[in-house]
This record gives sequence, C-alpha cells and structure tokens, in this order.
Amino acid sequence: MFEGKYYNGRTSKGMPAFIILEPHYIRINWQTDSDNGTEVWHLSEMHKTEFNDATTVLEYGTFPRQSIAVFEQGFQQALEHKYKGATFLKSGYSSFAKTGVKGLLIGGLGLLLVAVALFFWGVPALAEQVAAHFPKEYEHAMGEKLYEQMLEGYTVDSAKTVALQKYLDALEVKSDFPIRATVVENEAVNAFAMPGGFILVHDALLDKMEHHEELAGLLGHEIGHVQMRHSTKAMARSLSHYMLLSVLFGDVSGVAAVIVDNASSMYSLEYSRKAETASDKAGLALLAQNNLNPKGMVWLMERLNSNEPEFLKFISTHPRTADRIDELNMLIEESKYKTAPNPALETAWEELKGE
Amino acid sequence: MEQTSTVLETPVSAPTLSFKGKGSELFGIQIVNIALMLVTLGLYYPWAKAKNLQYIYRKTELAGSPFTFHGTGKEMFIGFIKGMGIFIALYGVLIYGSLHIETDPGLYFICLGIFFAGLSALVPLAIHGMMRYRTSRTSWRGIHMGYRGTLGAMYKVFLKNLFFTVITLGFYTPWFTANLRKEIFGHLRFGNARFSYEGEGTELFMINIKGYFLSIFTLGIYSFWWAKDLIKFYIDNILIEQDGKYSRLDSSLTGMQYLKLALGNMFIMVFTLGLGYSWVVTRTLAVLINNCEIIGEFNPDALAQTEEEYKNATFEDMADMMDIGII
Ligand SMILES: [Zn+2]
Repeated sequence: MFEGKYYNGRTSKGMPAFIILEPHYIRINWQTDSDNGTEVWHLSEMHKTEFNDATTVLEYGTFPRQSIAVFEQGFQQALEHKYKGATFLKSGYSSFAKTGVKGLLIGGLGLLLVAVALFFWGVPALAEQVAAHFPKEYEHAMGEKLYEQMLEGYTVDSAKTVALQKYLDALEVKSDFPIRATVVENEAVNAFAMPGGFILVHDALLDKMEHHEELAGLLGHEIGHVQMRHSTKAMARSLSHYMLLSVLFGDVSGVAAVIVDNASSMYSLEYSRKAETASDKAGLALLAQNNLNPKGMVWLMERLNSNEPEFLKFISTHPRTADRIDELNMLIEESKYKTAPNPALETAWEELKGE
Repeated sequence: MEQTSTVLETPVSAPTLSFKGKGSELFGIQIVNIALMLVTLGLYYPWAKAKNLQYIYRKTELAGSPFTFHGTGKEMFIGFIKGMGIFIALYGVLIYGSLHIETDPGLYFICLGIFFAGLSALVPLAIHGMMRYRTSRTSWRGIHMGYRGTLGAMYKVFLKNLFFTVITLGFYTPWFTANLRKEIFGHLRFGNARFSYEGEGTELFMINIKGYFLSIFTLGIYSFWWAKDLIKFYIDNILIEQDGKYSRLDSSLTGMQYLKLALGNMFIMVFTLGLGYSWVVTRTLAVLINNCEIIGEFNPDALAQTEEEYKNATFEDMADMMDIGII
C-alpha cells in the first residue's frame, strides 16, 4: 500500500489516498474532510507513464483524466515488478535512458559521427540528386545568368564566335538544351561548359588546334558535360551547404542568387575522373555520329597535354591526360567506322581559323 | 487497512513554479529522436516534437505537481503535413513566378504578391490553431487549459495592427505585439481561472528605445538587460483571475542572470558542436521558470474543469515552422 494524492479530473484539489496494487488493477482509496471513495483502475485504460522522477504520476481513463501522484516509497519499482510488461509502463525512451552515461556517450558520439558524415558526404550527395532533377527551363535560366556573369570578365571574339556557332550548326548534335558557344580572348588552353548548354572556348585553344575534328571532339566533350549535368551537379556539391542553409531559413529563391554570386566557382569546379571519361566518350560519340575521324579526340588531348607545365603533370589531381589518351585509343580500336568528309564543317572551320 | 488521519491533512499548496528538467535526460530523449528521424528521413519529426514537449511539460511544476502534454505524434503529424502542404504550395507559386522573372515580370510580381499575402494570412490562422491545440492538450492535475478566442477576432486584431504597423513604417510594432498578446491571453483559460494581459504598447516602446540606445552606448552589453526587460514585460503583465480574485505572474530575472544564461548557452553550442542543445533548452527553461512566481491569492487547489475535449492539430507545426515567437 502506498500513500499519494488522487485527482478526480474535475477539480485540482489533491485528495489524500492509499494506493493498492492488486494483481490486475489498481485500487485507490481516497478521503477528504467531507467525503471518501474507492476507485478501481484497470491496467488497459491506464495511460503511458514516462519521465517520472521522485514523483510517479499515473493517469487513467478518458477526458477528463483522473490521476494519482505518488512520492517515492519505491512505488515505481513496485509498479514495474507487479505489472511487468504492461503497456502503460513501456517506453523506448526510458529504456534508453537506463543505459546510463555509457549509453548516452556512445549514442552521442554515434550521432556526431553520423552528423559529420551527413554534412560532408550526405548533404553534397543530396544536393547532387536535387540538381539532377532540376527542371530544364530552370537549369537553362540559371546557366544563362551564370554565363552572362562570366562573360563580364572576358572580351568576346565576335567574329570567331559567329564562325564557331556556324560550325556547331553544321554538326549533328543530340542535346536536351540549345547549345550556345562563345569564343573569348584568353591565353589559357581551356574551355568550360555551363549548365543549360552554354559553352565558353578560349581562343588560345582554338589557335592550337590543327584539325577541325579536334573542335568537334571538344564540343562533343563539353556537350557531354552539359547533357550529363556534370557542372550543375558539381556546383550543387560545392554550394550544397549554402543551399542547405537557404532552404533551412526558408529562402529558396536565394539559392539561385547564391549560385550566380558564385559564378567564379565555375573555374575551380572539378569534375570527377568518371565524369571526364564519360564526356570523352560523348566526344567520341559525336565524332562517330558525324562520320568524323575519331582521332580528333586524341589530338585534342595532346593539345591540352602540351599546355601543362612538365612539373604539374606529376602533382596534378586531374585525370592524367596520358591515361585518357590510352583509354580513347582503346575505344577507337573497339568500334571502327568509315569516315566521310563534311564540307559544311570544313568551311566553318576555315572561317574560324581564317585570320 | 489502517486509517490514520494524520497523513490525510490537506494543506493549501503554494503556487510556486519550478522546472526540474535535466539536460542529460533531455539529451537521452533527443538521441533517440534524432536516430529515429534519420532512419525515417525526417518523417518522425512530429513524434519527436511531441516527446520533447511531453518531457518538458512533465518537468514543469506548479505547486509541486507537473503539467501534462497530451498531444501525440500522430496529431502533430497531421498538422505537420497540412502545414507543409500550404508552405509547399506557396513556395511553388513563388518559384513559378521567379522562373518567369525575365520573360514576364508582371507574372512574377503577381506570384510574389500571392506569396506574401498568403503568408500574412497564414499567421493569424497559425496562432489561433496553435493556441487552440496547445491549450487543449495541456493539463495540470487533470484540469485542462483552453482557448476561447475566435479566428475572426484574431484576424481583425492582426490585420488592423498590421495595417498600422505598415503605414507607420514599423513604429507601431510594440503596440502590435502588446495588442496581440491582449487578444491571446484574454481568451486563455486554465480551468475556471481566466488570464488577461495588461502590458501596453507604450511601455514596450519605451523599453525598446531605452534598450536600443543604451545597447549602442555600452557596445552591446546592455542588450542582455534589454532582453531581461522584454521577458519581464512579457511575463509580469500576465494577470490571472480566479473566483473574482486577481493574481499576477512575476519574474525576478536579472540582467546578470540573463547574461550568464545567454553566454553560457553560446559556449555550450559552440564547444559541443550543437550536441549540447538539450542543456541549452533545460538551462533556459530553468532560468525562466524558476524565476517566475505567482503573486496574489491564486489558489492552485481550487481550479475546476471547464473545458471540453477538443481535437485539431492543423496549425501547430505551421506556427512552429514560421517561428513566430509570441509566447
Ligand atoms: Zn571536361
């Protein structure tokens, strides 16, 4: 028998009571100055009791609930002993709390590890997934803004741009986006693909090229990046934490602004080795589709290679060009086809190399 | 059974408020919550929140008896889904508009308008729904709290005050806050006890003016005293009427205590990489609640049940998501 307070759910007056734990129910004998009575609580209608401390609170029945409060006297232990396994005593939270400091520590460290893993791996991976499912118009609009932003730092060679676009028009291209290519003045042998089909080619790269198949290969490679959304995904990865924050703080429209503000990150984006290989294959596919010499891809690699200072070749994190060339040669061996001259492309090429 | 009348005396309980929660206990709950949220990709959130509230209520005591939160994860899940639905729809409109910002600026501004109109129309709805839900799910010694305000009255107060706030370029904000609290507390019931709010906008305005300038002059140090004044404005103006007798809540919080609390919380968050959030919650509640007392003739033993059963979780989580900290 335990001493406690009984509350009948109609007033807040605590009535002194004796609580008796019977085998299948709880009996409460309460008494006030003017009145007394007995309540019988069936175990099945008792509400779950959790987070008890020195005082154990039990609630019973439908609205308004009756309740009892018992201060210590080993009441909690007696309940658990008497009604082992009863629903109202079950709590995943309480049983976890019983594991003590060790459980809390292990749980906490485990969570911390998961949080770190999520932050450095999960969030970027999720962002990549989201980016892969961006609506096309949105991706195009974003790419256009980026592209305009990037062009501000360059001088456009408009004559060569017209010729390049002509070359592009003469190519047979499969793409979800309209492809727009621009030639800019820059001494680095390089080219970029931006989301939504915008391609930027440095004139130094064009100057180095000796065959138009190289250009076709380059365009195929960059269109491959666009088509497989490599730049969108890579940007989403590198900006994933900004994106997470802006989503958390409810500023979804801010994401686009953040991306455009970080246009400069386009230069430093690194595609994975896998992405480059996939785009190299796309370059080959474009050459094949237009019956052009697949060696164009290999020549292109050689141009890029010759530009790299010797010492960088050892420390560079980029996939090594020599490896890429080997792989290309293997692929070319595997699927041979007949090449055919393409006068339209050659005219555009001559125009491009004209001056 | 031996009956001794000595244990059966019933002394009147003093209406003291206290918070008995421990950071380590809450942490144990949070770990389980977060683990389950990870496994369910966040869907467990409403259940996690219900569990948190159940713990916090259970550890908040009035006159030695704990409060009970009766809300369930399922109820909160329904509210969460509805809230999310409305938010996603509103954001959908906004994103749709921003896609056409260049081609059709008119459409963009219409979408922006719908977004903000929708958002401001939601606030009163969310406050109302949350008050109805939270109070109906709160009990103490079996006596439920209740909210008798109507949605129409809430809209009237909200929109009227919003209008004045907009045309005064924000100067009316303190009156807005005070009037909103009057509307909310004026309809709050705790059994047969009724609440009211006596704080005036002018008072809040003066607190803000004083706080703003003194914070500048003291390079921000005064901001802790400013925050203390705001908390006291929110708490000390709450009146309770019970059987014709009035009592008042009173906070003895000092600026120094608030400073210790705020800096301590900041250190805990930084040095535990956020894992110490549970301690931040319990510390904060302990400082706020343990410093709070009821002055007057409030008799915690004389409350009578007046509420009827009420179910509706619709707006609970929407208010939470928008984080409008009105109470
Ligand atoms: Zn590439």
